[in-house]
Amino acid sequence: MFDDFAFSAFVVTWLAAGIRLAGPLLLAALGEIYAERSGVLNVGIEGTILLGALGAYLVTYATGSPWLGVFGAVAAGVISNLFLAWMYVTVMANQVVVGVVFNIFALGLASYFYRIVLGTSGNPELIPMIGSISIPGLSDLPILGPILFSQSALFYVSIVIVLIAEFVLLRTRFGLNVRAVGENPRAAANAGISVVGIRYICVLLSGAGAGAAGGYLVLAQIGLFRDTMVVGQGFIALAIVIFGRWRPIYAALAAFAFGATDALQLSLQLFSFDVAPQLLLSLPYVFTVIAVSGLIGKTAQPAALMEPYRDR
Amino acid sequence: MLPAVELRGIVKRFANVLANDHASLSVLPGEVHALLGENGAGKSTLMQVLYGSYHADGGEILLDGSPVHFANQRAAIHAGIGMIHQDFMLVRPFTVAENVVLGLDGELQLYEEKRGILDLAGASRRIEELSTHHGLQVDAGARIEHLPVGVQQRVEILKLLYRNARILILDEPTAVLTPQETAKLLETLRSLAAEGRSIIIVTHKLHEIIEVADRVTIMRDGKTVATVAKEDTTEAELARLMVGRDVLLRVRKSPLKRGATLLTTQGLKVNDDRGEEAVSGIDLSVNAGEIVGIAGVDGNGQSQLVEALAGLRPVMGGQISMEGTDITHGTPACRKACGIAYVPADRRGVGSVGTLSIEDNSVLCNLGAFTGKFGVFRDRARSRSHARDLVARFGVKAPDIRFPAGKLSGGNLQKMILGREIMQQPKLLIVEQPTRGLDVGAIEGVWAELLKVRDSGQGILLVSAELEEIRNLADRILVIFEGRFMGELRPEDADDETIGLMMAGRSGKTRTMTHV
Ligand SMILES: Nc1ncnc2c1ncn2[C@@H]1O[C@H](COP(=O)(O)OP(=O)(O)O)[C@@H](O)[C@H]1O
Ligand SMILES: [Mg+2]
Repeated sequence: MFDDFAFSAFVVTWLAAGIRLAGPLLLAALGEIYAERSGVLNVGIEGTILLGALGAYLVTYATGSPWLGVFGAVAAGVISNLFLAWMYVTVMANQVVVGVVFNIFALGLASYFYRIVLGTSGNPELIPMIGSISIPGLSDLPILGPILFSQSALFYVSIVIVLIAEFVLLRTRFGLNVRAVGENPRAAANAGISVVGIRYICVLLSGAGAGAAGGYLVLAQIGLFRDTMVVGQGFIALAIVIFGRWRPIYAALAAFAFGATDALQLSLQLFSFDVAPQLLLSLPYVFTVIAVSGLIGKTAQPAALMEPYRDR
Repeated sequence: MLPAVELRGIVKRFANVLANDHASLSVLPGEVHALLGENGAGKSTLMQVLYGSYHADGGEILLDGSPVHFANQRAAIHAGIGMIHQDFMLVRPFTVAENVVLGLDGELQLYEEKRGILDLAGASRRIEELSTHHGLQVDAGARIEHLPVGVQQRVEILKLLYRNARILILDEPTAVLTPQETAKLLETLRSLAAEGRSIIIVTHKLHEIIEVADRVTIMRDGKTVATVAKEDTTEAELARLMVGRDVLLRVRKSPLKRGATLLTTQGLKVNDDRGEEAVSGIDLSVNAGEIVGIAGVDGNGQSQLVEALAGLRPVMGGQISMEGTDITHGTPACRKACGIAYVPADRRGVGSVGTLSIEDNSVLCNLGAFTGKFGVFRDRARSRSHARDLVARFGVKAPDIRFPAGKLSGGNLQKMILGREIMQQPKLLIVEQPTRGLDVGAIEGVWAELLKVRDSGQGILLVSAELEEIRNLADRILVIFEGRFMGELRPEDADDETIGLMMAGRSGKTRTMTHV
């Protein structure tokens, strides 16, 4: 059905697109891992991604620098999640309810700001994006070169962040404190750890991750902002955390698997294949439903996930 | 000598309870000081005030004579205080080393660590040194969830020693130990005190105090009522100070009249919540007119066994029958219909519905009998008189029968649940930890009721971690360890040593008993 050349071209476009699509999922999932490891289920990352995208777009639009845009995305994520952290940790509201309501609120907020700043002119303006980097030597490798070594600069940054996140979580004091707080907050408090402090930091980290994910969407994938651009990526990231068993490296693998599933549908259309695209389009969401339905992964879940901690 | 730690007039109030009412305590360096009191006397609260977990509403804390104020546990740790809680504070999926070094950063940092990167190898080395030095064997790399409770407690002690705590608080440390482990622990505490540390041991067990303490402070109803030196006191005096009146925990048992076999199990297997086998093939039989006691350290499968018998936990293998009828997979309602009643250890979570009144709770498991018109409406008149009967007969202290069950004290709630089950006249009564947390007066009452049930020809299966209770009530004692029976004893043969060895997993010299 394929000759060799067409087949390798298919694989290359497919996997390269898979990795491109995996980037935002990965960043959002990394942040979420920290929040969940500390015992907070931050469902609000869906809305945070959108706010991050808006932040990236507006800052880049105003300054012309996509790297400042990344900063804007992270800042939008952290600031908006300060509110979430307060609701989760201090108010001790139901985490799922707060997260879902926040997502709706973020959607309204994002379209509002976007209209205010850019008017209702209809055609959104393109902004400069962060370019791809071809790593000299490696990018000339057959097949692997175009897949792995000619990606957006943000992709390489994300990979470095995965390694740092894994190291910090498993090998440092801070990581140990985070894991202790998520497993047994009372024991952590009795060992002298500030449960509230750790949880605030971790929710803000997940805000930073989700914000950066939004920045990735705008600055490395699309180059403009629309309030419909996030479509469930935050929820997919929640599933990736579960598939990744709350470990950054495994989550990276899971993110690439989701990215690849998503890209499959695009690539197959490109090669005019005879599969209903709707079917493929739904695949990541099907996996997400399976993951969050609790059919898998229960054993690796932090024991105090979603348990508010009352000080005294 | 200047006290190492002194608490003066501590007041601590929770929503509607005055847990500490001007409580005072003073502990010398090198002293083992016992804090004695019944459950609910306020001992744990007082210790958590000292450890910085609670802020006192009044009073002051002095260390070496100077006043201190602890904003949180961290500040107390920094001042050299260490506490082992009643329920251990260990992170189960972590290793021993990870648990020991937990929280030791910032101003609590003890050993050089580069940029906050964990040095678990160094910590393991130091833990091993400490454990050899103090005779507390542990494997620093083992995960807590794989360690038996006795070893977990060693980890807790090592945690304090690693921090070089000079004031060690142990809250009911022997509740989960076998008699032999307890003896070992008390020995360790003595040697730590000999190094000049101050040890506060919280307990309600008198003989432990006689064995280990230099001085005793007694708490009752939130107040510290007396501090006495061990040489100047007796068990009887301590008991009187603790309860506020003379106590005589003796029971008079009539001769055994064993009737027909009621409940039998064969090769019963049950899993715990994590899906691991908790009960591994248990054969058991209970006859009418006898009390069968199951003794064992908490967490050896007795709760799962009882829950399976009550129909609250699926049976993974083997068989349960009641008077010859197979009820292995029957629902709780089906067991009730066969004449089995169950008094759970968890009175508030399983045994009652806290927000409902005493009246509603008293008919809860027998609604069918209190249904009036058309089989739909409740017969309030009858349920009211039933509840009044129950309250009167079992001495439940409450303002009236509309009082919510959740607001009853532990002892009164237990009397209500026990009364409810007994008044249904079951053939077999399964009771789990019936006197846990009750004061001595209430214990006397519960024991007397259980013996009445026995003497009226009903069977009782009694699960208890209190050896005294088992010895006083049971006609036969089965000792459970890791989901298996280690043997069967007659109460008169069940001395501390024999039963203790069996609780630790060594099978006793089982005497086969001739069933009548
Ligand atoms: N966190 C809490 N909230 C409300 N009441 C409490 C709390 N902790 C303890 N109490 C109450 O304070 C009293 C003393 O409890 P506690 O100090 O645990 O006693 P002890 O350790 O002597 O058994 C009890 O009546 C108990 O119900
Ligand atoms: Mg206590």
